[in-house]
This record gives sequence, C-alpha cells and structure tokens, in this order.
Amino acid sequence: MNRLSSSGVALSAPLSLLLLLVFLVPLALLFPISLQPFQDGAAGSGLTLGNYSELVTDSFLRSVVVETLLLGLVVTLVCLVLGYPLAYYIVQATPRMRLALTLLVIFPMLLNVVVRSFGWIALLANRGLVNNLLRDIGITDAPIRMLFNHFSVLVGLVHVFLPFMVLMLIPAIQAIPKDVQNAAYTLAATRRRVLWSVTLPMSMPGILSGSILVFVLSISALVTPRMLGGGSYKVMATLIYDDFLQTLNWQAGAAMAFALTGMTMVLVFLSSKLLNKFGGNE
Amino acid sequence: MPTLVLENLGKKFSDHVVASSVNMSIDDGEFISILGPSGCGKTTVLRMIAGLIEPSSGRILVGGKDITNLPPNARNIGMVFQSYALFPHMTVWENVAFGLRRKGVTGKDLGRKVDEALESVRLTGLGQRKPRELSGGQQQRVAIARSISPQPSILLFDEPLSNLDAALRDDMQIELRRIQREVGITTLFVTHDQTEAMSMSDRVCVMANGVVQQFASPEDIYHQPASSFVAGFIGRPNRVRCESTTTPDGARVVSLGRRTKIQFDQSESNSGNGVVDLIIRQEDIELSTDGGSLGGTNVVSAPATVSMRSFIGSKVQYLVDLEGAELLVTTPTNGPCAQLDVGASIFCGLKQDQIFLDDQRVVA
Repeated sequence: MNRLSSSGVALSAPLSLLLLLVFLVPLALLFPISLQPFQDGAAGSGLTLGNYSELVTDSFLRSVVVETLLLGLVVTLVCLVLGYPLAYYIVQATPRMRLALTLLVIFPMLLNVVVRSFGWIALLANRGLVNNLLRDIGITDAPIRMLFNHFSVLVGLVHVFLPFMVLMLIPAIQAIPKDVQNAAYTLAATRRRVLWSVTLPMSMPGILSGSILVFVLSISALVTPRMLGGGSYKVMATLIYDDFLQTLNWQAGAAMAFALTGMTMVLVFLSSKLLNKFGGNE
Repeated sequence: MPTLVLENLGKKFSDHVVASSVNMSIDDGEFISILGPSGCGKTTVLRMIAGLIEPSSGRILVGGKDITNLPPNARNIGMVFQSYALFPHMTVWENVAFGLRRKGVTGKDLGRKVDEALESVRLTGLGQRKPRELSGGQQQRVAIARSISPQPSILLFDEPLSNLDAALRDDMQIELRRIQREVGITTLFVTHDQTEAMSMSDRVCVMANGVVQQFASPEDIYHQPASSFVAGFIGRPNRVRCESTTTPDGARVVSLGRRTKIQFDQSESNSGNGVVDLIIRQEDIELSTDGGSLGGTNVVSAPATVSMRSFIGSKVQYLVDLEGAELLVTTPTNGPCAQLDVGASIFCGLKQDQIFLDDQRVVA
C-alpha cells in the first residue's frame, strides 16, 4: 500500500468506525428480526419471509407502500417545477443578488422541522391564518379543509425539501457553458427553444441527482407526514415508527424498514447509472 | 456591394473602453482576419457582430440592412466558438441539423443538407457519434459544419484553432480555407496568431487597445506597417530602447549603441529628446563582412560583433552586439553570411524605411 492510500484509510477511519458501530451493526442485528414470524404479540420461532411478502399481499400494507412512493414522486415533481426556475434565475442573477437568494433558499433549513410543521398547522388549520383570511375577504363561507390530508403533507414536504433541489440544480445549471447557449442563439433558436433543447437537457445531471435526493428524503420522512398528515395518514416511515414504538411488532417494522432501504438503494444505483450516461457534459 | 459594414462601432464596459470607432467594410466572399494581442477588443467586435454583445455606439450593416438592434437569432450570422460549443447531449448529426431545423428544413431536405455539410468537412459516417467521442480536430469540423449548414450570410470564427496542437492547426488552416472557398461565404476570423492571419486572409485587420491600427492585405501589413505598433507586432522584430536627441536644424538623431547614430527627418519624429523604442525586423537587417558593400541610399551601416549563432534550419540567427545595444538578425542558411564565427566583426545594414520609432511604447 502506498503512502497516499494508507493516509486516506487513516483519515477516513474515524468516520468508518463510527458508521460501523452505530449504523451497520444495528442494521445487521435488525435483519434476523425481519425474518421472524410475529405470533400473539411476540416473536415466534423459525424463519419466514412472510413479513416481506405481506408488503405486497396485504392490501393495507400495499396501499401504504404505494402511497409512500406516490407521495415521493409528487413531492419530487413539485420541487422540480418550483425549483428549476428559481435555480435558473439565481444562476443568471448578479453576484450580490445570487448570494442573497441562495441565503434565502438555505434559510428554511436552519429551522427545526418540528417548528416548521407547527408553523404550517397554524397556517392551514380550519381557524388558521389562511382560512381566516379567505373568509374575511369573502371568498369562502365555510373553512376549506387544508390540514391533515394529502395537501398539507405535500406542502410541508415541498417546503422542507425544496432547498435541496435548488442547491443541487444551481451548480448543474452554472456548469453549462454560456457559449453553448450562445451557439444555439446564433443558429436562430428562440429563447424557449434554447431552454428546451439545450439548457434543460444539459442540466440533466443536476435534475437527476436533485430528484433522487428529494425522492429518497421524501419517502423516508417521518416528522412531517406524522404532524401534518393526521392520525390516520400512514406512509412507510410512520408505519415503521408505529410498529416499533406502539404495536411493538418489530418483525413487520424491520421488514418494512429493509424494504424501504432496499428501494432507496436500487434507486441510487439506477440513478448513478443514468448519471454516467449523461456524464461528460463538458 | 459590401456584405458587412461596421460604422464607428464601439463598446464600453462602465468606464473601460474595449473597442472604439471600429470601421470596416467587407466584400462578399472575403476572408478577413482580426489580429491582435489578447485583450485588444477583437473578440468583442466579433461578438457584437454576432449579436451576443450589445454595442455602446455605432452601427452594423449586413447587405445594406441595419442589424445593430436585432437579437442573435434573427441575424443569420454563423459563429464557430473557441470552445466549439457543441451540444454535448446530441449526436453529430443532430448538432448539424439544429440550425437547419430552426430554418424550417424537414424530412428528406434536412437529411440531404446535413449529409452535405458533414461531407464538406469530411466527417461522413460519423453522424451518429456524440461530440465527446471525437478528437479535438473532428469536434472543430462539427462546429464548422453546424455553422455553415443553415447558409448564414457571414461566418464568424473566434480563435477556433487555438485549442489544437501545432500540426493539426496547420492542417485545419488549409482545410478552413478550402471549405471557405468552396462555400464562398464571407468570413471573419479572430486570432492572435499572426502566421494564421497572414496565411489565410484576403485582408488583415490589426487591432490594439480597442482601436484598428491597420486594415490591409497581408503584404501591405508586412511591408508597409501603418504604425509602430503594427511594425512591432508583425514579423519577428527587434525592439531596442535608444537615446534620442534633436539637432539644431530639427532632425532627430537616435543612438543605436555607442557607435551608430541614425538620423531621421522631422516628419519621422513627434517628440524630441529622451528615449525611444527602435523597431526593426530580424530578417530586414542585412549582414556584411565589409562595410563598403552596404551602400545605397538610406542604408545605415552599423559596425557590430557576433556574440551568438544559432542554426534554425532554413535560417541562421545571430545575436549581434552594437556596443550598448543588441540585435537579433536572421539570414538565409545558403546566404553569404551563414557561417560567421562568434566574435567576428561585421556590419549590419539597416534600411531607414524599415526602422520604426515608438514613442508611446505600446507593448504587444
């Protein structure tokens, strides 16, 4: 081993050790639990894949998995649609404006997610700020139900994860050489055509990595769906929480946790393949 | 009728003048180079013509029509960028088709025109490759094919060969000239390489500090430099700091070393005493072993000794010492003075009309 790589090992050793102890070891201990049957409120004997197959066969669990994936997809799309123009604008802005806008984007990340969720409750409740305003200016008579449903979860998650999307998009858009866009203009392309045929495809690496990040974070989010979704709203993360801390069905919880981790890893793997395909955009 | 006319074109960035009062008139099918050191404003002029930079003053006319305020996508002017600026996510074929599609060319016509463009730059068969799978020279050809395929009225090149290695650059120079002649398109070529500019162009525009110094044929630029800047920039000139004094009857005397004094008419000088840069090309200095043979009108014979000799193939280069001043001199390998030894006493023949004096010290 040469000196450079041995010092690399030494430098990464503390983090590797920490991750091994607090992440990989518990994970390894959890895995056998996911293979135990759950009988009469306790772990049964023998090994089974039943906890996993139930995720597909049980209609309730299946609906939760589908709900989780759909939620992740919608949050990702909304973040992309809202985040791209913002990132595009930040890249074009003057250096001073760019700094101010980037700080504004980062600012929500400085607030605890619980605090932010309470903020949304205060805004979206039946007697909350938004409904009161709508009634005062006479748009509605009865309050519009905006809290503890899909809408509030979506709003909350987009609010939390939009900065991630924007921060991934900015360097990707910035990396597009100005002259490539200029070349398109000299070839008689309209602004819209340049955006569609040059800028958007060339920012694909950022779009992909931002989308993957937001999707993965969304499907594993716990606090926001729990606080803004209401008691009956279930996604995989909240169900895992319930399994472990309320119904004490560790077996089902572990299986779902591994299923979630597995899906995430498959996604990250596929996206890195895709990124390679779009790579070399220089 | 001239294709492209620039009228008093100028560009200021806040207080910094990048180009001022650029006037140019270019005829149909001409190949023009804009030559100058980096930062002289040549790329700015090119980008103003393309519409990528808005001029602060002046007008741009193409075929008599004022296009100064048109956006780049309405100008029908092609541009080849220094970085090639190919669309990396499209195939070579799609890159070339991009401009044609914007002109409404579709179907069979599109296929035929793209294939023609690829053929003219000798890239037939590489249409399905991505730009990153091509060599630098091939990418360059794609960029050219892409810009000529929509048949622009003018083609602009922004230092297109500076990213290529020397051998490839020579090939591309010839190739570019061939393509330009075949297509017959009016071309403006920006470069800082004087050999490139001289060998390729019908006319060369020398720029410095945002101002056009001379706009003439390569021969005129070389033989009749309009300013001391051009004289000091073109060829391989010597630039020697000299003492300058004025005689009572108004002539200017410049001391080149301790032994040689060169007298100039009043018209040659605009300031009297002090220091001045004397500029003369290495190849314009004639060498002789005896001073008598260097006669003739307006030739100054300067005694000197050889202090260094280097053989560079077709030429021999000497460093000669004029006691207080040094000059580089090149002479043909098969000439009479090709075999001088270090320490030999010789005479340098300096023709007065090939000597330029630079009071402003505009350094290239």
